[in-house]
Amino acid sequence: MSIQFDEVLDVKGAKCPMPLVKSRKAVNTLGVGNVLKVIATDRGSIADFQGWAKTAKNMELLEQETVQDNGQDLYVHYLKRTK
Amino acid sequence: MTLVMEETAVATEAPISSAITAMSATDMYAAIMDGSVPFILDVRNEDDFDRWRVEGRANMNILNLPYFEFVEDEEASLDMLAKHVSTEEEILVVCAKEGSAQYVAEILRDAGYSVSYLKEGITSWGDLYDVRDVVDGEYGRIIQIARPARGDLSFVLISGGQAAIVDPLRHIDFYLNSINEAGATLTHIFDTHAHADHISGGPDLKAATGANYYMHPYDAIHPLDMLPATISYNYLHDGQTFQVGQMTIKTIWFPGHTLGQVNYLATTPDGGRYLFTGDGIFLQSFGRPDLGGQGERWTPILYESMFHRLPPHLTDDTYILPAHFSQQDEDGGNGIFVESYATVRGQNEALKPRSLEEFTDYVLGSLPHFPEEYVEIKRVNAGLSQPDEEAASELELGRNICALS
Repeated sequence: MSIQFDEVLDVKGAKCPMPLVKSRKAVNTLGVGNVLKVIATDRGSIADFQGWAKTAKNMELLEQETVQDNGQDLYVHYLKRTK
Repeated sequence: MTLVMEETAVATEAPISSAITAMSATDMYAAIMDGSVPFILDVRNEDDFDRWRVEGRANMNILNLPYFEFVEDEEASLDMLAKHVSTEEEILVVCAKEGSAQYVAEILRDAGYSVSYLKEGITSWGDLYDVRDVVDGEYGRIIQIARPARGDLSFVLISGGQAAIVDPLRHIDFYLNSINEAGATLTHIFDTHAHADHISGGPDLKAATGANYYMHPYDAIHPLDMLPATISYNYLHDGQTFQVGQMTIKTIWFPGHTLGQVNYLATTPDGGRYLFTGDGIFLQSFGRPDLGGQGERWTPILYESMFHRLPPHLTDDTYILPAHFSQQDEDGGNGIFVESYATVRGQNEALKPRSLEEFTDYVLGSLPHFPEEYVEIKRVNAGLSQPDEEAASELELGRNICALS
């Protein structure tokens, strides 16, 4: 998968709710139409980002993936600022 | 405003700046039991909430408003909350671990609410064990060991320095501690059947103590995989009796929920009769016959057990001690899920006289959904799969769905 992104937010090690709180702030600093790649280790972020995307005013969740990194699961989210 | 008085009252213990208190799962259960639990705000996502949430007495109020709604739009979320609860009421915020609950609790405090959060999150509630005496007689004791969040019940019988456990749950220390405190030795470990909703503590207790672990051999075959169990256990047969101190325990085969399900009838020197029904008869329901994938074929077997096989062993004053409850209010207020058969017969819809045809329609017409993890849990209980702690905990997440409804 090769989603194009403009910014990266590394929230590895951050526990709920911080991955989402920091992502919320980061999306607001993106240019409209730009994409933020969020890298998290909190497994709960997958379902929570999906839930958030349902009511978020200016964010679209483009894609989520789980990747292995040195035996650790990383949960990657691609968020697009829509307006 | 009354809030000021309350804050003054606690000010001697804690400064007002740290007015958000952490409530332990133990304290929450005590509050659920006496009906004083605060309004619960569950801030997990909707799917997790739908799958499993804190349940209490009928008067308990709970609302799901995910933390990310507060992150996205704090004002709108507070407006939404205000439609359900006033600032005069206390709120207990619940999430998966505790981080999001703290986050939301701070927002609520700043908005004028009196607020606490569930310490260590809903997993600590799921892992809470509650130990209570059911009977404390001259000949011995019967202790109920429950996991209230899951609706799981198990029992310890102690008499004459010996102890037996019926349907032990996964965390075996609670049993060993109760037995040690009573100065007794574990001699018998009984499972009423191969459980689908939780991992049995039987094999671990056997390994830890050397006590015999009893199960009916029909339940040592995984009903869907058709593979034999690899665990070590002692074969039970219908009518088999055991002596635990001054208590006599008789095995009554009760197939239906599983093919090898049994009930254990304990009789005591004072004439007491205590029937451990497992997932046979519950206080207000009974064990569903479809978890082996054979609902239509096993329903007539269940009918036979319920209306012909078991009744000769029952008297009105026989106490029913099931492996599950569905609602906290089944406890009659004291946290003990035990009722006389006379009471159960009067309140349990399933025990109404019915023809086999009527019973079949009733059962198969109201089956709840079949949790997919139940297939894997049965594998674990047969020794066919060995999950680590995290996987075991994940498998057991949520409330049991063993009852018909």
